[in-house]
Amino acid sequence: MRLPGTRYQEHGWEQVRKLLGLCSLAAFAHTSPGRLLDPSSRLDALSEYVEHTSGALRAAWRSSRAESPGNSYGESVLELALGLLFELQARPADWDAFAAAVDNEHQKIGAFWDQAGGDAILRKKVNDMYAVLRDKVDSDNYQVACGRNCSPNKMYAYRMVDTAYGDIARIFEAWRQHPAQVGAILGRGVDAAAAPIEVRQMKSIGGCKPEWVINWSESRERFTGAAGPLHTKSKRFASLKNSPEKIGAMLREIGDYEELSSNRDCDWQQDGIAAAGWLDDLARVLDEAEPDPGVSPTPGYIDLTGAVRPMAGDSLPVRLAVYLKMLGAHDDSYPVEWLDPATGELPTMQQLAAMDQVSLPTLRKRRDAAIATLLGAQRP
Amino acid sequence: MKENDLKTLDDKLREKLLLSRRVEGDRLMLADAVLNAALDGSRPLSAGERAALADSPLTLRRLRQLSIDRAAAANTWSGSAGMLRAASSGGIDALATDDQHWALHFVPQGAGWQVILKLAADAPFAPQLMREQPMLRVTDGGGAIVLQGRLDADGECETAWPFDTPPAQHFQQSGARFAVEPVRA
Repeated sequence: MRLPGTRYQEHGWEQVRKLLGLCSLAAFAHTSPGRLLDPSSRLDALSEYVEHTSGALRAAWRSSRAESPGNSYGESVLELALGLLFELQARPADWDAFAAAVDNEHQKIGAFWDQAGGDAILRKKVNDMYAVLRDKVDSDNYQVACGRNCSPNKMYAYRMVDTAYGDIARIFEAWRQHPAQVGAILGRGVDAAAAPIEVRQMKSIGGCKPEWVINWSESRERFTGAAGPLHTKSKRFASLKNSPEKIGAMLREIGDYEELSSNRDCDWQQDGIAAAGWLDDLARVLDEAEPDPGVSPTPGYIDLTGAVRPMAGDSLPVRLAVYLKMLGAHDDSYPVEWLDPATGELPTMQQLAAMDQVSLPTLRKRRDAAIATLLGAQRP
Repeated sequence: MKENDLKTLDDKLREKLLLSRRVEGDRLMLADAVLNAALDGSRPLSAGERAALADSPLTLRRLRQLSIDRAAAANTWSGSAGMLRAASSGGIDALATDDQHWALHFVPQGAGWQVILKLAADAPFAPQLMREQPMLRVTDGGGAIVLQGRLDADGECETAWPFDTPPAQHFQQSGARFAVEPVRA
């Protein structure tokens, strides 16, 4: 399924999820899940987890799973996995929820990660965390892309509707084998001699009727033994079940966007377009706005005029560690004197720690503190 | 270190920081109409709207998207027009649009002509058109279609001259003007 701004809703998601699960287990071999039990060390554990997982992800680079396409916008499974990992870092509430789930399990059965089969339990919890996160990220990006409201629940509902269509299309395709189910979906008797006209007319999700989705869900238990998503005991889609107009609007929206996006390059390609352009627009919009009485200039704020330098109080290795984390080892704007002559890139974290004569964990802590300060100063 | 590089680096870091802020439960706090009016300067944000923008990274990212959309729209080609310059007594070999981004070439072929539309390689929108390959149409001053098709890998599109009268005479009789436009779906 494709919608404006979404990146994690296509078939490649399965591979992204598996890769993140695999690399998370590798990371937890370094950072014991036991550290999550103490709320005061959770944030440090997150930082270490991100570091180790991104290392494992980069090591998986060139594996066929990591290189395979993760969506139809040209992003690989690896890129999507890294993107989601960095989102996690920006959303500590999701990490807290994961930690609470680990804590909960620990209270029931002890240090399960050290027990036989413990990896599977841990992996299941990691999967759950990323499943929630991908819908948060995609519903945010949907709103950014098209300016309409969305929520993680709505994203989940879009996917349910899309899956329903896929199943209906499959049943329609094999109408000869499933005349009773086709009849139940259409809400009328089906003559086994000729293909029902609806079956021939439904060419895409845009041509699927909301009543069929409701009928499909309602009759699913009868034909497959498992209740359809609109008809389970869960209240999740309770309001949707009685709102064919809402389901119809979602079917049309998915269909319209798939048609549009299959005809042109996607908007994500614009991301590389000059950062300065929109920052100039932002500065102008803020400048022209009525002054906000709640805002006073924050010390250390990155002034657009360049009058105040960011991280003025931090050592050069800490500042470079911040650039390394935020912009990567290679960037055309890095001055030559910052680069390691051997690689032409910023020094590694190990090298920076040695330059600063501190341990790696200390450098990480100082770097993360500098980033937190910078982030805190970003209320424009 | 050059001052310019530092400014670029600061911008890049600031953009990254602005875009990586997340607020739990964030949502769009300002309508597109409000953000667009602020971007085009027709209605500045009120103090309350400014605060809403500052407190909502998601709304800020929406502002960024609208800013990028506006820049992209400003660079998008929507058509070029040209004139038959001097009333030449004989035939014409070629015509160019006023912006010099397109040329029409006429090559005798048998009893008639081939007409070739050529995109200038240095046109600002050339990379976009070559990538997107939109359907293009050339019309004369009376609106009749001279040529319709998509550019080939050389940035050209050609067809047989569709009229009985020769090119120069035809354009003279139909307003001495022509236009190259994308065909809207």
